[in-house]
Amino acid sequence: MSTALGWLAAVGLAAGLVMGFGVAPREVTQGNVQRIMYLHVPAVWVAYLAFAVGVAGSIAYLAGRRPGADRLAHAACEVGTVFLGVNIATGAIWGKPTWGTWWTWDARLTSVAVVFVMFVAYLLLRQAIEDRERAARYAAVLSIVAALNIPLVHFSVYWWRTLHQPPSLLKPGSSTMPPEIVAALLVNFAALALLGAYFVTRRARLLAAEEEALA
Amino acid sequence: MPDNWTFVAAAYGLAAVVFGGYWRWLVRKERELAALRLPRPSRP
Amino acid sequence: MAWKDLLVERRSKETLNALLFFSLALLLVFQFALGPDRERLAAVLPGLLWLGFILSGVLGLGRSFLVERENDCWEGLLLTPGDKSAIYLGKLAGSLALMLVVEALVLALFVLFFNVDLGPALPGLALVIVLGTLGVAAVGTLFAAMTAQVRARELLFPVLLLPVLVPVLLGTVKVTEALLLREPLAGVAHWLKLLVAADVVYLTIGLLTFDVILEG
Repeated sequence: MSTALGWLAAVGLAAGLVMGFGVAPREVTQGNVQRIMYLHVPAVWVAYLAFAVGVAGSIAYLAGRRPGADRLAHAACEVGTVFLGVNIATGAIWGKPTWGTWWTWDARLTSVAVVFVMFVAYLLLRQAIEDRERAARYAAVLSIVAALNIPLVHFSVYWWRTLHQPPSLLKPGSSTMPPEIVAALLVNFAALALLGAYFVTRRARLLAAEEEALA
Repeated sequence: MPDNWTFVAAAYGLAAVVFGGYWRWLVRKERELAALRLPRPSRP
Repeated sequence: MAWKDLLVERRSKETLNALLFFSLALLLVFQFALGPDRERLAAVLPGLLWLGFILSGVLGLGRSFLVERENDCWEGLLLTPGDKSAIYLGKLAGSLALMLVVEALVLALFVLFFNVDLGPALPGLALVIVLGTLGVAAVGTLFAAMTAQVRARELLFPVLLLPVLVPVLLGTVKVTEALLLREPLAGVAHWLKLLVAADVVYLTIGLLTFDVILEG
């Protein structure tokens, strides 16, 4: 199944590139630099999707104590962190020519950064505990805290920033996107989701093999 | 607005490096584990 | 449980004293880092205050389960029959009381050293301090139990705790800012609601998952 997912992801990524660079038009106000969005936006969607899978796996592990659920949670949270890292990095590269700065403490940037740090902490905790069973339990609890904390982080950071700048600045003309751009975004989302799913299955298999080797 | 193709290339290049690097790390680890496991059954 | 911790604490006073001097040192460092400019100091005062509270809280909470380890009582905690959430509540109450005492004294020192006039803001300040500290202690107690048995725990505990506390820190600082500017609490009601929500969420998770952490 993993190999099939991998090939599907490869085909999807190729289609995504065609959509992003061939079909989608040059954006009027931003120019071609807007094409980074076909990578940047789907990456954060896939990251949050992966975290949702990770938390579901964590809850399932705490309920049933099957090691497979924990491996899924671990793999999904790690892959989600990788995708969120790509999202933040590409966002900075997009922001430099568009906003004139690599980073600004804008509401969305800040909340994504906090979520990123929370899941890096999750991975650090996993690394610090040798006993697999205990690592699984602790990490599951941490991922539940992190997940429930996400809405709190979003609200607080949003209020914190919007006292200084109107929210209209945060969503420049999202309603007037041409259909080709929407299509390109969705194709790239599907492609990156396939890539993420491929990574998760691969990583979960690797974790199983590691456990077997240690046993 | 200028096109800033270098920034586009940098973003896609960086993503390719990160995803490719992660994939290669997964494959390498899997191979190492497989190599570790192979000699085991031959042992008495 | 809380009673036991508080008794031990009152007898030794070691954590309380150390925390107080830590806060005092922080105060001095803040003063040196910012210089004597009073207006700039007033602008960042709420942030400094909560940074001090949270840092001393991290130190205090980090110790709360270490005491059990050092005195070889961890096994006893694990073997305690019945509901483990009682242990959680006990530890939480102990840490909360300790943190509140330290915070009250630090606040007094702030008033003294930085010449702030709290006056009518005091009841509101007490409210936000209790709400904020409860949130910090609720999630901190959970994480302290988690990291007590882990290597590099002094490092890992704040790494886990600080990002999670971002909403609490933002909320408390914003409310404190409004209080010091003598603005009505109604203007920051959404922040207070957020703090209450955070407290409820952290407490619920703590109560529900503490069993899982004390399994072994």
